[in-house]
Amino acid sequence: MTGEHAGERGKVNQAAPSMASEARPPVREARVFARLRTRLVRNIVRVRLRQSRLRLSLVLIFSVLFWVLLFGLFFEGFSFVNKHLPVGNELIGYLFSLFFMALLVMLVFSTGLILYSGLFRSREAAFLLTTPASADHIFAYKFQESLAFSSWGFLLLGSPMMTAYGITRFAPDWFYALFVAYFLVFILVPGSVGAIACLLIVTYLPRRKREFLIACGAALLVGMIAWIVYLGRATPGEVLTETWMDALLARLRFSREPLLPSQWMSEGLMAAAGGDARMAAFYFLVIAANAGFLYLIATLTARGVYRRGYSNAQGSRSTRLPRSWYWVDRALTHVFGFANPSIRLLIFKDIRTFRRDPVQWSQFLIFFGLLALYFLNIRRLSYDINSAYWRNLVSFLNLAVTALILSTFTSRFVFPMVSLEGRKFWILGLLPVERDHILWGKFAFAVGGALFPSELLVLLSDIMLRLDWSMILLHTMTVLILCMGLAGISVGLGARLPNLSEDDPSKIAAGFGGTLNLVVSMLFIFLIVVMLALPCHLYFAGLEAERHGVTFATEREFRFWMALSIAGSVAIGYAAAVVPMRIGARAFRELET
Amino acid sequence: MIELVDVTKKFGQKLAVDRLSLRVRAGELFAFLGPNGAGKTTTIKIICGLLAPTSGAVRIAGYDVTRDGRNARHLLSYVPDQPYLYEKLTGREFLQFVIDMYGIPCDTGARRMAELIETFDMRSYIDSLTETYSHGMKQRVVFAAALVRDPRVLVLDEPMVGLDPKSARLIKDLLRARAAAGAAVFMSTHTLAMAEEIADTIAIVDRGRLVSYGTLGELRATMQMEGPLEDLFLHLTAESSEA
Repeated sequence: MTGEHAGERGKVNQAAPSMASEARPPVREARVFARLRTRLVRNIVRVRLRQSRLRLSLVLIFSVLFWVLLFGLFFEGFSFVNKHLPVGNELIGYLFSLFFMALLVMLVFSTGLILYSGLFRSREAAFLLTTPASADHIFAYKFQESLAFSSWGFLLLGSPMMTAYGITRFAPDWFYALFVAYFLVFILVPGSVGAIACLLIVTYLPRRKREFLIACGAALLVGMIAWIVYLGRATPGEVLTETWMDALLARLRFSREPLLPSQWMSEGLMAAAGGDARMAAFYFLVIAANAGFLYLIATLTARGVYRRGYSNAQGSRSTRLPRSWYWVDRALTHVFGFANPSIRLLIFKDIRTFRRDPVQWSQFLIFFGLLALYFLNIRRLSYDINSAYWRNLVSFLNLAVTALILSTFTSRFVFPMVSLEGRKFWILGLLPVERDHILWGKFAFAVGGALFPSELLVLLSDIMLRLDWSMILLHTMTVLILCMGLAGISVGLGARLPNLSEDDPSKIAAGFGGTLNLVVSMLFIFLIVVMLALPCHLYFAGLEAERHGVTFATEREFRFWMALSIAGSVAIGYAAAVVPMRIGARAFRELET
Repeated sequence: MIELVDVTKKFGQKLAVDRLSLRVRAGELFAFLGPNGAGKTTTIKIICGLLAPTSGAVRIAGYDVTRDGRNARHLLSYVPDQPYLYEKLTGREFLQFVIDMYGIPCDTGARRMAELIETFDMRSYIDSLTETYSHGMKQRVVFAAALVRDPRVLVLDEPMVGLDPKSARLIKDLLRARAAAGAAVFMSTHTLAMAEEIADTIAIVDRGRLVSYGTLGELRATMQMEGPLEDLFLHLTAESSEA
């Protein structure tokens, strides 16, 4: 379609009337799309304000709470670094560079994936492509949307961090306005790279895009593993000593390469916080110029290939699936043999859907893979030879991290499950099974999917930390409670707050319901982990204190508090699994489509 | 007005459209018939520029859809089988978006919009968000959006799905009126009685190939068969399958 703007070149029949170009006044498409966006946003806000004030208030309250919590954490962190570390500012520079570099990679992937749905799979794109709108304007319109969806979390995470940094560094007032502008131009860089990659992959590898993405994900994972192993193994000196820290910083120097956008962010924001307006403006303009250039390339790429890519993407889906995976279904038939046959079929449906969507399991694999790698390196970090007090602390922190990552997955993949039935809901609605059973089927699927990797990871962490069997048993039980609770919250809230008109799971997860689900899940994790970790922590702290001749808890008291904590966590876990499921089931029974 | 020359479309090894050549003139109402999976929707998507043909050419009023798609699409209105509307826009706002997109002057656009709201009896719901509409209401808005800019080429995929008898009658009359006003109307349908009733020319495709093409009288003469279009259709598609 590169010749679309070739004017008369494409007019093959000279005898035909050229009404198109004669009578048509110029259309400012950018303005038309801007008006469309304004109307859509205005109507959404109006509807929300009129129909769901409570929902909106909750979103605001939770967002503010989350923001304040993050601000507090960052403020304490920056204050600590400034106060206690002589190389504090240099260390912060490294942390900023690494943080923005990680964001750079994540935003490339997330924008690319969201844009793929928007440009090649949505009905809106099909509608817009039948209008005379140029490919680059359609692209720009969908790009804005994808970028907003992929990067709002970055803004939510980054703004308390920069505010805390600014306060601890006594930054001038203009710093706080400038860092927002920095963020806005920065997200254009990975967003544009993700968009260019998305357009080119779909256009030139329409039949191999899935394999290509898997290969990229695997390469990224292997690269990160190799890098972390290298950092861990090749850094000389005892862990956390000055020699070790110097060597580590030397190895991280690549993150401060002057040609990396993450380094421009780091340098520019630190200069701005220090009141150096000239350097701050310089780095801002460097990022803005590069962002503008990359965005221009992205729009030119869209102008050149989007229509062809769309056409290729429509015919790229294989009609016949390989039978090589069917053994999994047969094996699962035995695993879920206890379940009602119709529920079992519904579980298989969800498993097949999950299996055939590499976007889902590849993210699962990357994050849990990285966590497994860290756990495998626990002994290299010498955590296992520390005192029982420290090992207990690290073990619960590891468990909490595993649960937090799991909660992002249940929010991203389990919560949207009911919503994704959407227009196909009538199929489930007409099945000769109780609707409650459908929901419990999804619950079983979520618990099964979450339990296996989480237990494995926590077990690995415990073994590497050389914990005794009673603590391993306690952690195994904690993970079971967490998995059941998280599954109950996500399935139940997913049924209570479905978004049946949306096909894109990332948008469902990013909406009100998904955000609420994430917040509730995190609160649940916090409650369970603290409830079980606290008596253990006090017990081991008591053992530590005993070595210094102080006793503050007897074995009997510890057992009592431990039993109470276990009973409490089981009760909370049960409530977290059952209450949302009941609320969800009631809403699901009454659901009409 | 619409010209398909040796159009072939392959999805991998699957041949969806096989060397299809057709011509729909200005003022002609053309019915495009075929069993499920015959390649009707693929052909329509190629005409609208959503799919690129593997080989061959499609021209709209002389403009090649692949090379000069923008001009071609400016002349064309498409009504898909599943109407798409922005759920958070009202029907009126959606029509305004189409008016803006096609660069129709404000006064002309407003006048046409008002006429179509009357014609399709949409006054009671046109200012509500489209997410509250029934399928039939959505279909009416989509028809209004297709007609609001007075297109020279109208392409419709299963236009009667979800319409009540009154709306169906209205659409039939409007399609005939558009053709009488000089537009080329290309319509795919499974409603053979409608095709028989209003179409000037009928094409039957099966497995991507054109199996018959002409007026109803010409089809009957070629097949040496009398009777309704349904009999001809079943006979032709059965023959094609056997071959």
